Amino acid sequence: MAAQPSRSDRRELVRERAFTAAGVTAAVALVTTIVLFLLELFVTSRSSRAAFGWSFLWHSEWNPVTEKFGALPMIVGTLVTGFGALLISTPFALGIAIFLADYAGKKVSEPVKYLISLLGGLPSVIFGLWGLFVLVPLVSKFEVWFGKLVGSEALVASGTTGVGLLAAILLLAIMILPFSASLILESLLVVPTELKEGALALGATKWDTIQNVELPYVRKSTVGALVLSLGRALGETMAVTMVIGNGMKMPRSLFDPANTLASAIANQFLEATSPVYIASLIQLGLILFVISIIINIAARIILRRGVQQ
Amino acid sequence: MRNGRHVSILCTMLTVVALVTLGCGPQGDSTTVKELSGAGATFPYPLYSKMFDTYDGITGVRVNYNSIGSGGGIKALTDKTVDFGASDAFLTDQEEVAMGAPVLHIPTCVGAVVLSYNLDGNPALKLDGAVTANIFLGKVTKWNDPSIAALNPGLSLPDLAITVVHRSDGSGTTSIFTSYLAAVSPSWKSTVGAGKSVSWPTGVGGKGNDGVAGMISQTKGSLGYIELVYAVQSSMPFALLKNASGTFVTPSLASSAAAAAVTLPDDLRVMIVNSLGKDAYPISAFTWILVYKEQNYANRTLAQAQALKKLLTWMLTDGQAVNEALSYSKLPAPAVTKALALVDSMTYGGTAIP
Repeated sequence: MAAQPSRSDRRELVRERAFTAAGVTAAVALVTTIVLFLLELFVTSRSSRAAFGWSFLWHSEWNPVTEKFGALPMIVGTLVTGFGALLISTPFALGIAIFLADYAGKKVSEPVKYLISLLGGLPSVIFGLWGLFVLVPLVSKFEVWFGKLVGSEALVASGTTGVGLLAAILLLAIMILPFSASLILESLLVVPTELKEGALALGATKWDTIQNVELPYVRKSTVGALVLSLGRALGETMAVTMVIGNGMKMPRSLFDPANTLASAIANQFLEATSPVYIASLIQLGLILFVISIIINIAARIILRRGVQQ
Repeated sequence: MRNGRHVSILCTMLTVVALVTLGCGPQGDSTTVKELSGAGATFPYPLYSKMFDTYDGITGVRVNYNSIGSGGGIKALTDKTVDFGASDAFLTDQEEVAMGAPVLHIPTCVGAVVLSYNLDGNPALKLDGAVTANIFLGKVTKWNDPSIAALNPGLSLPDLAITVVHRSDGSGTTSIFTSYLAAVSPSWKSTVGAGKSVSWPTGVGGKGNDGVAGMISQTKGSLGYIELVYAVQSSMPFALLKNASGTFVTPSLASSAAAAAVTLPDDLRVMIVNSLGKDAYPISAFTWILVYKEQNYANRTLAQAQALKKLLTWMLTDGQAVNEALSYSKLPAPAVTKALALVDSMTYGGTAIP
């Protein structure tokens, strides 16, 4: 504009710079926090690595008395509950999203959307309590029935508490459902109307349109949404710890008590006193952190490709 | 309009930064000590908060106690960020070395751990050390096992699997219970051992007393251990236990106090499980406050040391009146005498604290 900057322009410039500086500081602080986080986890867990090395990853004994630690049962517990929950909740999430996007009228879809976000915002301890008092007894009944069905004396006899991997998987499936359903719904809603109308104009039925136009369009963003939900399931602590039975041994069946990385840390960190024990618990945290990072990066990559397509 | 919004966001950011900085600022120190701080065990937390509240009312000295767990308490004392730590288990030799200076163990009350169960009709169950250990080892798996029947003549126990319930979190309660099992069962001692968390041969874990109690009340045929205080408050059934002198004892404030009424070592750093007292309930233990013997450390003043000594002395004498109202056992008189001697042995700069 004018060659000679006016007084108010200069003031504007100073404000602009100050604001930029504040914004950059905030952004740098965030990145620094994450890096420091990782660094701190790495440094404080080094005595565990010194004692056990890589074998920490595949040893399955966890004995605080003899100070022998291996993370395998918790890694298995984390992955089994996470992927199991994803497997169960995905069809429901897809169903809900498709129903809300294409079938339900506004009168139905608005309250349902509201309920979904309400479910997503419930504190996890409430899910945990519900799991312990409602879901676990049901799983216990199923366990007895299943034990009789396959004639496994061991299943029936080993105490049918209902707590264990299966209860945790079911509870997590319900907990991540609102999350994945609303993410998939968001991507279904941005499918261009021209595409849908085009398909309908060619004589496709509603189902044909969904199957051949909408789902292929959102395929990649759906995968991204599911991976993000998986990340949530892996890190869930409170609800899982209430229903998983907190066994530190390698589970042999879906009915066995097991544990996840997050739940083991939450349970044991407070009263752990010996240095190797504390370092090993922090090492569990580091493993969980790395797993979460890998999954989040995978989700970003898939999501980006989905957008490009 | 746009500028105005920028400025207000900027102001908010600066305010937050300013608040955070202010919060970290140094606090002014006063010559008279009005505040003491401690951290540690969760088990005696209700007792300590009542005691410290009463103490504040009498003396005007406020005591901040953070129940962050024994581990956290020991760490805070090692880092010298608190006046005292609190723990349900005495320091291991390794932990004592890490402290860098001698630490005194001052018991404040006796806690007991009970075996609670869920059986139809709530029969009055009797158990002994060997059978309990075998159940928790996974060797006795049914309620109608002959070894349980032998202790309970006249009771008809069901052909039902015993579901063992234990704590999933590290806890002083587990430490007391496993110390007892290690004391009564050589095979428990060699295969599992004692500690705040152990590698359980069998069973499911619940978090906290409430987690274990919840699991027990929900599962027919379950057996688990919880603190006496908690069992009394939530009216859970608990088993009578055969003690070292062969008597079946009901867990109670009196019978757990009786466990401490035996000859004790002068440093009171001792597990009183499987006590020889005739009326002693065998799964009983002290919970301790931990302080440095030499109080002149980390720029502490003599006034601070005096205030701490006064507090500990009060907790062992007048403060004990609080115990029973809150379902914690009082320390028996001989234990109080020895504990007071420990408090008197605290020094400041090498001389006794006046």
